[in-house]
Amino acid sequence: MSERILGGVLLFVSIAGIWIARGFEAPFSYEPVGPRAFPILILALLGISAIALMLGSQSHNTVWAPPAVLKRIGALFLIVLIYAFLFDKLGFILATALMVIPVARFFGGGWKQAVAGGIGLGVGLFILFDRLLDVALPTGLWLNNLLG
Amino acid sequence: MDSTFALLMQGFAVAGAPENLMIALIGCFLGTIVGLLPGLGPINGVAILLPIAFAMKLPPESALILLCAVYAGCEYGGRISAILLNVPGDAGAVMTTLDGYPMAKKGLAGPALSMSAMASFCGALVATLGIVLFAPLLAEWAIAFGPAEYFVLMVLALCCLGGLVGDSLPKAAIACLVGLLLSTVGIDSNSGVYRYTFDMLHLQDGIPFIVIVIGLFAVSEVMLMLQQAHAGTEPMAITGRLMFSLKEFMLAKWTMLRCSLAGFFIGVLPGAGATIASAMCYASERRMAGKDHQFGEGDVRGVAAPEAANNASANGSLVPMLTLGVPGSGTTAVMMGALTLYNITPGPTLFQDQPVIVWGLIASLFIANVMLLALNIPLIRVFVKFLSIPNWLLVPGVAAISMVGVYAVHGNTFDLVLGTLIGGAGYLLRVMNFPIAPFILGFVLGDMMEQNLRRALSISDGEIGVLFHSPIAIGLWIAAAAMLIGPRVLRFIESRRQRPATA
Repeated sequence: MSERILGGVLLFVSIAGIWIARGFEAPFSYEPVGPRAFPILILALLGISAIALMLGSQSHNTVWAPPAVLKRIGALFLIVLIYAFLFDKLGFILATALMVIPVARFFGGGWKQAVAGGIGLGVGLFILFDRLLDVALPTGLWLNNLLG
Repeated sequence: MDSTFALLMQGFAVAGAPENLMIALIGCFLGTIVGLLPGLGPINGVAILLPIAFAMKLPPESALILLCAVYAGCEYGGRISAILLNVPGDAGAVMTTLDGYPMAKKGLAGPALSMSAMASFCGALVATLGIVLFAPLLAEWAIAFGPAEYFVLMVLALCCLGGLVGDSLPKAAIACLVGLLLSTVGIDSNSGVYRYTFDMLHLQDGIPFIVIVIGLFAVSEVMLMLQQAHAGTEPMAITGRLMFSLKEFMLAKWTMLRCSLAGFFIGVLPGAGATIASAMCYASERRMAGKDHQFGEGDVRGVAAPEAANNASANGSLVPMLTLGVPGSGTTAVMMGALTLYNITPGPTLFQDQPVIVWGLIASLFIANVMLLALNIPLIRVFVKFLSIPNWLLVPGVAAISMVGVYAVHGNTFDLVLGTLIGGAGYLLRVMNFPIAPFILGFVLGDMMEQNLRRALSISDGEIGVLFHSPIAIGLWIAAAAMLIGPRVLRFIESRRQRPATA
């Protein structure tokens, strides 16, 4: 079933993509093939493959993880997504510590381990990258104010 | 030949600079660790370190030396967890578990580890010599390629990868087409037309390569690790002697040499990677061993064969990337992306235009492998300690470090969020058994494919026949079709033949 749904989505993507690609017109052109041909070619092949996926044998269907595990994976994804959003707003140390604690819990760490790991990774990686390796990381407003 | 030697010496001068030696050593060490951690392999190691190397503003040759050392180190590291945990550290080490773990159970963990390190070294050395001998020749030959031949060559590379991995042809095709499609996002460089940017400023230059790579090989990897989280098994202790005996070495020496040579040639072919090389070599060595063997129960040849093969093929797969600009595996596709970040276009002219980089890289492979052998035999106990890094520390660490890499290169939240979203989509596709290597290859090759296609058609004034004109192009088309259909036909015949027997 998952294959059929995905095939449908991809078929829609390919049709919509071709629709959009019709508007790719070069204002002036000195070559026989413009910016439109390649995407349309790819999308057409994608559409055909999507149909083949939908009609093909469904014997090797996807086995999803049990719902309880899927929920945890979804939560993990959301945590990383929030981490990405807050990365430069909260600053590396705070954002990382906040991300590490729940993720460590997911992977079987105790509360103490998770908190220690969060603070350790946040501070440790900040020192490693920002101070030693010269890879600039966001400090976040709060730390900036603290440091003056 | 003479000039090759001179160029190689020049390469050693680059790779032997103190700074680059240091970088190679760090890369070897990190690579071995990434390789031995179950769940993380060469592609993850290279993917995570690539943006960091770029952000540290390493000069291109140093960055490449770092990535190559990591790549080589991962191939060494994969065997450690295979032998001690019965869990392959990366896909190429699956075969090493078959005899490595039984050896460890018999109390021969030390010899198994040192023998496999020796085999790894042998494989890598043979393959690096192979690169020195064959790469310049191949590059010279490929210079005659026109845009039409190039386009077809890239089609061939995609077909090889799509044909060999996974069972489902539509899935492989979709993976590579989506990769190609994503590569068209952004301003078309020929006409200035915006394609699929949806008026988003950040998409004007296309989807950054680093964002895709981190999404697929860090974010989605972390999600898969949660799915596959298994109860931690205790690694076998290393007791007794550390070194293999002379008798064991004599038993395995021809195995190592044969598998190194075979592994190199398998690695050069696009699509067939370390996994296939080690499986094929293991099977054929087992057959050649005759009656008097202990394969499957802890034969030294059983650890030597797959390790020699997988290291040789890992190095061999650098050949098509360096000489043709067409990587044959996921990891080399990521490395090629690294080159393009530095505005270096791999391809036949690379050997002429950038001899310092190419020969520095080749020389660094020699140096890295000597370092790895030196690190992996006496210091093996140090690496074993890393097997006990708990997942609750490792996984968030990987997540944080990969975000550091993306942020360091582009410095905006948009890329971080985009990378995470791509990782989420990547997770779904990977669970659904979509092969990931054709996708990344499609994304890396997309722009070059389109450019070459358009150039070829410009030359012929829009006449499609130009793609089928030269004998080389026709040969490549036939090879592409054979690669796509061949493995499936063989499998079909195989299943037909077996069915009456089982019924």
